[in-house]
Amino acid sequence: MPGAPSPLFLPFAERACGAARVAEEEGSGPGAVMGGGRAARSLPLIVCDPPAEKREAKPAFTDEAVQDLLYRMTGLNLQKVFRPVRQELKPPKYRLLTEAQLQEATRKAVEEAKEKLRMPPVLDEREPIDDVLADDKVLEGTETAKYVFTDLTYATPHRERFIVVREPNGVLRKATWEERDRMIQIFFPKEGRRVIPPVLFKDEHLGTVFQQDRHEDILNMCIAQFEPDSADYIRVHHRTYDDIEKHAKYDLLRSTRHFGGMVWYLVNRKKTDGLLIDMINRDLLDDATSLITLYHMLHPECQSAKEAKEGKLHGIDLIKVFVKTESQKEGYIQLALQAYQEAMATSTAS
Amino acid sequence: NLHLITPGSRLLKSYRGGHVVIRFALGGCTNRPFYRIVAAHSKRARDGKYLEQLGCLDPLPNAHGEKVAGLNLERLRHWLGCGAQLSRPAEKLLGLAGFLPLHPMTITNAERLRRRRRPAQESVVPPAEGGSQEPGAPV
Repeated sequence: MPGAPSPLFLPFAERACGAARVAEEEGSGPGAVMGGGRAARSLPLIVCDPPAEKREAKPAFTDEAVQDLLYRMTGLNLQKVFRPVRQELKPPKYRLLTEAQLQEATRKAVEEAKEKLRMPPVLDEREPIDDVLADDKVLEGTETAKYVFTDLTYATPHRERFIVVREPNGVLRKATWEERDRMIQIFFPKEGRRVIPPVLFKDEHLGTVFQQDRHEDILNMCIAQFEPDSADYIRVHHRTYDDIEKHAKYDLLRSTRHFGGMVWYLVNRKKTDGLLIDMINRDLLDDATSLITLYHMLHPECQSAKEAKEGKLHGIDLIKVFVKTESQKEGYIQLALQAYQEAMATSTAS
Repeated sequence: NLHLITPGSRLLKSYRGGHVVIRFALGGCTNRPFYRIVAAHSKRARDGKYLEQLGCLDPLPNAHGEKVAGLNLERLRHWLGCGAQLSRPAEKLLGLAGFLPLHPMTITNAERLRRRRRPAQESVVPPAEGGSQEPGAPV
C-alpha cells in the first residue's frame, strides 16, 4: 500500500567509514604527493583512508615506516620500469644533452618511476551487502525478471551510489557488490575494465598465466578489473604470490609496484625464507635487513625480535639471529650467507 | 515553457498550452524496444525533441535475468520541482524503484492477477480428486 516513505529520498549522508574512491585523472609531471589524491600517469589512482579500527600493536600496510621499508625493498630498475609497453609504434627521438641536462633528465625519470611504483592498496575483504529496503508482498508473481535501478547522478562517488534491486517476489533490496560493480561499469565505463570479468581470472586458467611467467601482467589486469577490497582481487593476488613463492620467481615482481604487496603478504604469513635466500644470492643485504626489520615490526613477540631489540643488532648479525630462531630453511640460508661472505672476501682481497 | 515571440521559427517550436512531462521515449528496432526516460513538452512527438534525458530502461532481461534501468535522481527531482508531470508508466517504474510509493494500479493489477489465478488453481485441483476415485469404478 502507498504508505512507506520512498527509501531513495533518504539523505545522501550515509557515508561508509573508510570509503575508498577510485578516480582516473590525466596526470601532468612528477612530484606527486603520496595520499594527497594527485594524478597518476594513465594508471588508476586509488586513494584510501586508513581503517578506523586499527589495533595499536599491529602496524598496517599504510604506515609510513612500513611503506618506507617496502619501497626500499622494491628497488628501482629504470630499465624495467620504463620497458616499452605495447602501444602504437613511434620512431625513437634522439636528443643531444650536456652532462647537467642528462642528470636533470635522469632525476625527472626517477621521479616518474617513483610515481609508477606507487603501491596499490591492501584492504580487507569487503562485507557482503544484505539490506532490505521494502517488502511488498502484493507484487508476488506479477513480474518474471528482477529490476535493477541505478542512480545516475554524475556527482555522487561510486561507493555512495544508490543501486537497488526489485525482486519478482516484491522485495526491494540493495544490490550486491557484484551487481554494483557491473552496473557502474555499464553506466560509467572505466578504461581497461569489462562488465563481465574475463575468464582468465578463474583458478583453472591462472595456472597457464603462471607458466608463462606473466605474473606482473595478470596483476596489472586484476587492478584494472576489480576493486581492491573485492574477493576476486584478493584471491588473484594471493594465488599469484603463492605461485611466486613456490617457484622462487621473486625477481619477476622486483622494481614493480606489486613487490610491496607481495612482501606484506609473505611476512604476514611468515613465508619469508625463499625471499631472504633470493636477496642474499643477489647481494642485496640492505633489502634483507629491511625485510627482517619489517618482520620484527609485524611480529614483535617472536624470539629474534626480542634478541634484536636487546642487542640492537644491524646488518649480518640481524640476519644470523633471525636465521637461528625463525626460519625453516636454516641450512640454505646459512649456505647463501657463507657464499656471500666468501664473495665479499675475494672481492676485497683482489 | 516555449511561448516565443516569433512562432514562425523552424528550430524552436512554440505551443499554446502544454506542460513538461517525464515519460518514456521508445527507441531500438523491430522486436527490440528500448525506453529513454525523458523530460519533454507534452505536445511534442513521443520520440521527438526533448528537454533532457533523465535515464533509461531496458525492458528485455539481460544474461543475468535482470531488467536494467538507470535514473538520474538529482535531475528528476529538479524537474519535479519545476512542476513536471509524470506519465503512468513512469509513475509505475518509479514506484517499483522505491523513489515514489507503489502506484495504486500496480497493486490493483497484482490483486486482479492473483484473483484470476486462484480460481484456475482451484478448478485444477478438484478434477484430480474426482479422478483419483475413478479407478475404483468397475470397467
